[in-house]
Amino acid sequence: MDASFVRVFAAGLFALALAGLAFAEEPAGDAANGKQVYLMARCFTCHGRVGQGGGFNYPVPALAAIELPVEAFQAFLREPPNDMPAFSTAILSDKDAADMWAWLHSLPGRKPTKDFPLLNQ
Amino acid sequence: MTTSRDLPRADRRKFLKGAALTGAAALSPAAAPAQAAPPRADLKASAPGPKLVAAETLPPGKDPVNQTSSGGEFMVDVLKALDFDYLAMNCASSFRGIHEAIVNYGGNKPEILTCPHEEIAVHMAQGYAKMEGKPIAMMCHGTVGLQHAAMALYNSWCDRVPVYVMIGNIIEADKRAPGVEWVHSAIDPAAIVRDFVKWDDQPASLQHFAESAVRAYKVATTPPMGPVLLSLDAELQENPIADRAKLRIPKVTKVVPPVADPGALAEAAKLLANAENPVIVCDRLARTPAGMARLVEFAETLQCAVIDQGGRMNFPTRHPLNQTFRARAAISQADVVLGIEMNDFYGALNAFHDRIVRTTYPVRKGPAKTISLGNRDLYLKSNYQDFGRLADVDLAIAGDGEASLPLLTDQVRRLVDEVRRSAYQARGEKLAKARLAMVEQAKSDATIGWDASPITTARMCAEVYAQIKDEDWSLVGNAIRNSWPQRLWNFDKSHRWNGQSGGAGVGYNAPASVGAALANKRHGRLTVAFGGDGDLMFVPSTLWTAAHHRIPLLYIVHNNRAYHQEYMYLVAMAARLGRGIDRSEIGTTIADPHVDYATVARGFGVHGEGPISDPAELAPALKRALAVVKSGQPALIDVVTDPR
Ligand code: HEC
Ligand SMILES: Cc1ncc(C[n+]2csc(CCOP(=O)(O)OP(=O)(O)O)c2C)c(N)n1
Ligand SMILES: [Mg+2]
Repeated sequence: MDASFVRVFAAGLFALALAGLAFAEEPAGDAANGKQVYLMARCFTCHGRVGQGGGFNYPVPALAAIELPVEAFQAFLREPPNDMPAFSTAILSDKDAADMWAWLHSLPGRKPTKDFPLLNQ
Repeated sequence: MTTSRDLPRADRRKFLKGAALTGAAALSPAAAPAQAAPPRADLKASAPGPKLVAAETLPPGKDPVNQTSSGGEFMVDVLKALDFDYLAMNCASSFRGIHEAIVNYGGNKPEILTCPHEEIAVHMAQGYAKMEGKPIAMMCHGTVGLQHAAMALYNSWCDRVPVYVMIGNIIEADKRAPGVEWVHSAIDPAAIVRDFVKWDDQPASLQHFAESAVRAYKVATTPPMGPVLLSLDAELQENPIADRAKLRIPKVTKVVPPVADPGALAEAAKLLANAENPVIVCDRLARTPAGMARLVEFAETLQCAVIDQGGRMNFPTRHPLNQTFRARAAISQADVVLGIEMNDFYGALNAFHDRIVRTTYPVRKGPAKTISLGNRDLYLKSNYQDFGRLADVDLAIAGDGEASLPLLTDQVRRLVDEVRRSAYQARGEKLAKARLAMVEQAKSDATIGWDASPITTARMCAEVYAQIKDEDWSLVGNAIRNSWPQRLWNFDKSHRWNGQSGGAGVGYNAPASVGAALANKRHGRLTVAFGGDGDLMFVPSTLWTAAHHRIPLLYIVHNNRAYHQEYMYLVAMAARLGRGIDRSEIGTTIADPHVDYATVARGFGVHGEGPISDPAELAPALKRALAVVKSGQPALIDVVTDPR
């Protein structure tokens, strides 16, 4: 993979444009399908089954209740900057990516830690 | 071979062959009843019978059937002088001479630990030595046994741990029985592991053995520590001792680890004292309980960030200056970085990206001075690349980290005036705040998927900590990349943690944990370990050794039903190529059938709980298992977890 910034940036813009088009047609995203895709695409192996994050070569960020905008999310999948492998349209369609985002976005995510006695010992 | 030459011309091995051919009929009437009778406690002390007397007095040319001493006995005297508590081994005929001597002459001292695999024996020795600060002995066949032991020796080597290996060999070709004894002999059996043992020898006489045994001990326990090996000729072990009075066991003196050059330390102190953001990174620093206390004192003097890479229990996890989980941020701001007993200082200073074109760049934003202090530069070997990439340091100081810290602290103290003291204090407060934010982040991350099944590693760890935190616990093994304990538990004593495998050779975790638990047993500590399912699959029979020797340990299997680290790599490879991500399970998962580790444990005589996939069932299972552990026995819990 060519890691040059220019290429990453250009591809990101391109993906952004594509994502914008896709979303003009399907704004909501099918979260139920998204969950299936998340498991099928093996995102869970690095990010955890409930998007809690994990560890690959270094800590892998949590994705539950993702705040990254859907366009940026898709751009990231196509041309990730560091150790995450790229997921091209050959293995992950734009629609599936958008569905996945919808599911991740719908997950509860982090909760107030004070409610967890086991985390305050 | 003096002793074998001193023997009456009768060849001991020829005798054995003869005995096998003629069987019990060959036994003299005097010896026969002794064979049939139940063992008598006084047998060893009783006067020699006519056969024994004959064996001692008959002229050369006769074929003796009894002997009154063995070279192995002297070897046992030497092992006792070296003060080994244990000898981990899997029995083998190439060392039957010394084995018999340990059991009967030595009264099972050093105490034999029966291990179903040589890799288990070495890893137990590795875990034990790190916890107890003192090596134990290990013994195996010089060929097949050593081949099994090799990976564990590599782990010990990379982990700088003294493991004292003895192997059996039959040096003289004409003394080998046809068949197995030939395939179990080698002219240089240590060759297979020489790249990753510090020193080895094959003594040619008992006196030679004594001197090499003491030297081996010295070499193994001198930093940088590492495994050593002695090849013991079977003739030397088995034949009678010619003249015990002539044999001498040398004094066992340990080498005092070197304190670094005071001038160099003063230069380092100056750089550190003048720095705006000095950072300490350490890996295998604490050799003894003093190590942690000295590092705390040093860091507090400077009020600087400490990054503990965890090769040993170097720094308390809840110390305000502990910045381990914001290492990148700390180093990026650093103007002076001191690496103490680092193996991979380069890796700490640079980022690396595992991409198609592999890239690396410095983590530091601005120019920074780098200083290394440690034993690493004093000893390297070429073949295996465990020394890591060359770190580009400004000041390289050879000396033992733990031994040199008091002087370095002193040198820094001399430079601290009032102005600096208040600047240091402000720095320390900032770091304390950053650490609290990091802990809060960890707790917040841990809440995600709290009730999920498979259980998250965060929940698993929190449940375990709840059950052990009020005990004198010791965590001696961990699952790959499971950082929750270090992020959230209070590691405040030197026995709270025991480091990792060293060589990343999977199959370390279970046996090394049992070895560390054995050391902890005498101190009354509660030993706990997490370990991967893949790791346990290499050496499940470790559990039998724990049960057999009544070694209390709570072993928690982080059962993600996979060699998960490799599973992720396969996904990454497939993604790069845009194909077949859904085939990444092939060769990477441990499913179909699922392994029931609790049943496996029970089969080896270990209390087994699980599989547990509902987080609510964890606490009761842990309580039951801990009751077993507190009664002095091992227990295992199989926790079906999410990958990481
Ligand atoms: C082989 C491991 C691996 C796999 C598989 C993987 N990721 Fe990642 N992911 C990472 C790593 C590592 C990072 C952090 C990357 C970095 O350092 O920039 C990351 C980052 C991300 C980010 C950016 C998050 C943020 O907060 O910055 C998103 C979004 C993401 N991954 C989504 C996915 C999705 C969706 C999939 C499945 C299609 C997936 N990942 C599969 C390892 C992986
Ligand atoms: C002896 C050996 N064989 C293979 C490997 C490659 N390897 C690295 S991590 C790993 C997975 C180990 O599985 P497990 O202990 O269950 O840990 P997980 O990654 O699943 O958490 C393997 C096979 C190794 N490091 N050592
Ligand atoms: Mg596993």
